[in-house]
Amino acid sequence: MKSLPEKFSSLGPFVDCWSHATELQRSQQRWTAGVKEFQSFYQAMLPILDEVLDYLDQYEVGAIPDEARALYHLALAFAEAAPHNELYECANEVPNSFAASRFIAAHGQIEDK
Amino acid sequence: MAVISDDLKKAMPFTTRYPELGTGPIDVAPLIDPDLFEIEREKIFKKTWLYVARTEELPKPGDYKIRKIEVASTSLIIVRDKDGKVNAFHNLCTHRGNKLIQEEGSQTFGSTGNHLMTCRFHAWSFSTDGKLHGVPRQENFDNLDKNCLALKSVHCEEWQGFIFINLDKSPKQTLIEYLDGMDEQFSGYPYHESTERYQYSTVLNCNWKVAMYAFSEGYHVPTIHAATLPSLAKIEQIEFQCFGPHSTSALYVPPVAGMEPTPVTGNLGGRLVGSEQHKPQLDLLPEKMNPDRRSDFQFEFPVFFPNLVLHLGAGNGYPGMTYFHHQFWPISVGQTLWEGTNYFKAPQTPSERIAIAHINALHRNAWLEDTSTMEDTYAALCSGALEEMVLMDEEIMIRNTHKHWHDYMKA
Repeated sequence: MKSLPEKFSSLGPFVDCWSHATELQRSQQRWTAGVKEFQSFYQAMLPILDEVLDYLDQYEVGAIPDEARALYHLALAFAEAAPHNELYECANEVPNSFAASRFIAAHGQIEDK
Repeated sequence: MAVISDDLKKAMPFTTRYPELGTGPIDVAPLIDPDLFEIEREKIFKKTWLYVARTEELPKPGDYKIRKIEVASTSLIIVRDKDGKVNAFHNLCTHRGNKLIQEEGSQTFGSTGNHLMTCRFHAWSFSTDGKLHGVPRQENFDNLDKNCLALKSVHCEEWQGFIFINLDKSPKQTLIEYLDGMDEQFSGYPYHESTERYQYSTVLNCNWKVAMYAFSEGYHVPTIHAATLPSLAKIEQIEFQCFGPHSTSALYVPPVAGMEPTPVTGNLGGRLVGSEQHKPQLDLLPEKMNPDRRSDFQFEFPVFFPNLVLHLGAGNGYPGMTYFHHQFWPISVGQTLWEGTNYFKAPQTPSERIAIAHINALHRNAWLEDTSTMEDTYAALCSGALEEMVLMDEEIMIRNTHKHWHDYMKA
């Protein structure tokens, strides 16, 4: 069961959708997300981004403990999804682009820990 | 050679400095002709030095990478031996030719536990310097001389941590001779500090030169990248130089008033720019790059003949990103394995890792824009309707590659 630190419980509704351990899993969510999903995630995350990052920074990179792991993966998903809000009008693909799923990431199935 | 008019010098200040390149159109046949592709295999990909690995991919003795090179109908074992030296061999057992190490896809990584590589067919084993080590039931061969059955080696040299191979049995030039001055321009860049690596690949349905040429000029940037890189609407591409078959130029982006980064990029990029580890460091560039130490320097992008384009930054283009490269591996006349690799210094904190994920995603998205034209271009060129293509001044690196491609094909 993925859980968030108490102080970030407001992000709870986004965990199932967005919090995934690998870039490939996070990309698969991004490629299928709708406008509203991008919008609500962005609106919930942006105002507390600094707080989230400062909280995570009490840990070592590569050794995030279980209780903060879901939050870490959520922040990574946000970092990867934000360009869709800020540049692509919440479309789930880059406008006029090559099919994103045809890009194979060599690191795509490595878990962020 | 025709006299170059002042008007032409003004229109094409860079190209006219290299009169041997001409200023007219280039022929399209090399991008679509299957017969020429067959000649390319022999005259280009089996004759030139090809980049196959970064030294950091083989951190310890015994580590290996298998690199499939379809255009040369082979795959190579690139392995670090007991003494730390990197060797390259055809991935083939010298007994009956089975693949010595099984591979998956175009690149396979692994490590030999005991410095021995053992064939799964009859258990012949080879050491990491290529020597045949063990042969079961050796006494049942006709005076088998193990010294004559070492792995088939391939010339392998390293420059600044970039491992190159040459499939020619006796290459005409050493790697440094082949680099023809590029080594002097780009040695000393702190490549080895960038250990964080993100690689994307795809098979593009286009000729390898269609893909490579698209990444060899900055003329496309304001158009193709209007969505992902709005700050690059005005760029300055200067400092062109040709080094034999290779060439280079630098990209600067003069600041645009009122162009603020978006909130997330501002926050995450700002964290990298503000950190000791990832801050812009113009002073770390080799002397000959960005000679005026301009702070709006984005990157210099040398094109290494035949199939590598490097981009060397100083952390002030894409925040935190140090360098990246593209490589183009032909599969057939109309298919190319493209590999794009971003390099950063290692993140020191979780927030730096998250910021790097953001910058890496932005850059990958720009590549999705770049690659969006290549298959269309190739399909359209295959109509044969366009026999020549015209090039503007800042497309000079294409012109240089193309000229030297012809020279190699004629040799």
